[in-house]
Amino acid sequence: MLFYSYFKTLVGKEVTVELKNDLAITGILHSVDQYLNIKLTNTHVQNETKYPHMMSVRNCFIRGSVVRYVLLPAGSVDVELLHDATRREARAAP
Amino acid sequence: MGEEEATVKEPLDLIKLSLDERIYVKCRGERELRGRLHAYDQHLNMILGEVEETVTTVEIDDETYEEIIKTQKRSIPFLFVRGDSVILISPPLRS
Amino acid sequence: MAEAGVVVGEAKTPSDFLKSIRGKPVIVKLNSGVDYRGILACLDGYMNIAMEQTEEYVNGQLKNKYGDAFIRGNNVLYISTVRQQ
Repeated sequence: MLFYSYFKTLVGKEVTVELKNDLAITGILHSVDQYLNIKLTNTHVQNETKYPHMMSVRNCFIRGSVVRYVLLPAGSVDVELLHDATRREARAAP
Repeated sequence: MGEEEATVKEPLDLIKLSLDERIYVKCRGERELRGRLHAYDQHLNMILGEVEETVTTVEIDDETYEEIIKTQKRSIPFLFVRGDSVILISPPLRS
Repeated sequence: MAEAGVVVGEAKTPSDFLKSIRGKPVIVKLNSGVDYRGILACLDGYMNIAMEQTEEYVNGQLKNKYGDAFIRGNNVLYISTVRQQ
């Protein structure tokens, strides 16, 4: 639940989602669910010449399981908050 | 529950002790990450800070058929890593 | 058939085996073929593993050493005891 809650705080911010097939999509985080499926709006892909079929894509839904990384906007990472939430989660889990 | 930290009773305790420390992560696809651990969960989803990613690729020379090993590095200020890509995590040496 | 350090006859089920090898030198083989040799600190139901003094062998060659290492269980092919480190 930790990362679901965290990603909800990023809604409306620009993130770059790098997929396991190396495609990197930048866009505004529209929404996220408990599986960390992600909806992006205003998307554009890095290295568009390599992925011309993505040129006209402006919105997308990304299944959580195909995500490798999400590059986060530096300004919206409160590390103290994350540390506390992580310790709380570690205590609660098994 | 008073005594936390201290001992490693289950593998995830090793990760717990590494919170806010720089760690090494070996990922699938010949990727390695070095960065500060800011958050993790039981799947090993993580948020790392001040990350350096190293990607290693092997190419075969057309003429000599020799393996050419190349490494590409990039820096990322803050990175969420999905746990299913993780193979191994090593904390800094505790002294 | 005395596997180093494991009392044969006591270890009956896989989980008995896993319990009996804590603190022992082991080889962990991953699905990728990479081997890790070190002291098994502990493990859990997912086969997540914590090891100490770990050496990483790729194609039989030593590639890396880690003081502590956490291995995510889904990558584990097998855990084997070893005679000597």
